[in-house]
Amino acid sequence: MKWLPFELHTHTPHSDGIHTLLEMCRKAAELGFRGIALTDHNTTSGMADAAQVTEETGVAIIPGLEWTTFYGHMLTLGVPYCEWRDLGPKDIHKGIDRVHRQGGVVGIAHPFSLGSPICTGCHWEYEIQDWNQVDYMEVWHETLPPMRNHNAPAFEQWTNLLNQGYRIAGTAGRDWHHSNDESDPPAYTYLGIVGDTDALTKEQAVDAIRTGRICISMGPLVTIELQADGQSYHTGDVIRRSDCANVETVELTVRIDHPSIASRRQMVQEEGLTVIVESNLGECCRSALADGATVFQHSIRPEKLLWLRVRLYGMLSGVLSTIAFTNPIYFED
Amino acid sequence: MKDLLIVEGTLTPLSSKTHITYQFNIPGPAESLRIDFSYSPKVLDDKEQARVLIEEALDKYVDPSLQAVYKEQWEKFAPLKNLLTLSIDDPEGFRGSAHRHPNHQHHVLSPHESSPGFFAGPIHEGVWRVTISVHCVVTSECRYQLHIREGEIDHEVASI
Ligand SMILES: [Zn+2]
Ligand SMILES: [Zn+2]
Repeated sequence: MKWLPFELHTHTPHSDGIHTLLEMCRKAAELGFRGIALTDHNTTSGMADAAQVTEETGVAIIPGLEWTTFYGHMLTLGVPYCEWRDLGPKDIHKGIDRVHRQGGVVGIAHPFSLGSPICTGCHWEYEIQDWNQVDYMEVWHETLPPMRNHNAPAFEQWTNLLNQGYRIAGTAGRDWHHSNDESDPPAYTYLGIVGDTDALTKEQAVDAIRTGRICISMGPLVTIELQADGQSYHTGDVIRRSDCANVETVELTVRIDHPSIASRRQMVQEEGLTVIVESNLGECCRSALADGATVFQHSIRPEKLLWLRVRLYGMLSGVLSTIAFTNPIYFED
Repeated sequence: MKDLLIVEGTLTPLSSKTHITYQFNIPGPAESLRIDFSYSPKVLDDKEQARVLIEEALDKYVDPSLQAVYKEQWEKFAPLKNLLTLSIDDPEGFRGSAHRHPNHQHHVLSPHESSPGFFAGPIHEGVWRVTISVHCVVTSECRYQLHIREGEIDHEVASI
């Protein structure tokens, strides 16, 4: 498996974006992305140029779409257009089924953005009867996401849902409409890609999101591994309680890989990082990382754990902030 | 050039979050389809009305602890705008949409090329549908005009 940075929320002139797919993918390559999801509002016609743009830029293009409805914006990935115009505020599960039946995944975009009439349909107002049907939530939206007000309640809602036992992936999305050099930096959504990474497919990206092999970061890739009774588990994996019944603790290893891109290394200070281990029981541990260290280890008692993730905290463009977070490793009975 | 549909209408804020669908028949295969769509006004000019609507939205969507700060900067969210978008279904299914802000739009669909947002492909005979999605009307009235024609092929695939 390889961890590759993606941008999962983008627009072109096929909806209201300013940059063409080619302009955007050139810029994406410069920013260090290996792939993007093309998620124009309510159409997939922009995919007509995708193969040629990938050939020219090396950036994989995953077909997607942003359902831009009256009651919320929902990202769909890996499927063609699915009908939304007949759905009311209590019908979202009918819509989610249409995406799932064709093998795609759905994610709630910017759930806490301001809604109509300031931004039409931008605040999530659909009634969700079963959160198990929601594959992911865009908990970091727009550029420099940890600094934005509307992402705080999104991150909190995600955490609450994890606490209730739902397994929902957390992603970042720039909602990229315009490539220019002055804009603030976007986050990376690192996806754990299985199989050949030379010619990335939509199936590989969809599989990574569905299984929660995801790390969100302003720069460094953070991966987690849990050793339990001789077995090892990674981001997105599920540990059965019976598989760690014989041990008092499970051993957590956190690895931090700083990206090679110079602009990222300038933005995220590599000294003074703090590793925070979070779970349904709250914070398990908070520890300053020795300067230059890229590995952190900690023993954790597994009982009563439903999920566990790691957050990296430090200086981002001169401000103390969350720098990165992993998706959880889950526990089940 | 042959006219297929010429319609217009008047909307009020009550029409926000509704769809208006027109269904029309194309009697035989055509070389292209040309769509002119416009609505007006685009912007709510009345500042006091805008302020009331913005404050309502901030009450609804912003965390109570931040509402005062947002309300001080209410003008940042002005002017409020009407948003109507167009989508098309051909006899075989969804043919594309144009989700964007300009309130005067011209689209062409043809076998080898279509305006951004729409799929290129044959203009089959049969029943077509065009849907105006009324995302938001903030002005007391908003008038729209829609004009669809059959046309010949040319290389002008314009869109706004
Ligand atoms: Zn959106
Ligand atoms: Zn978007």
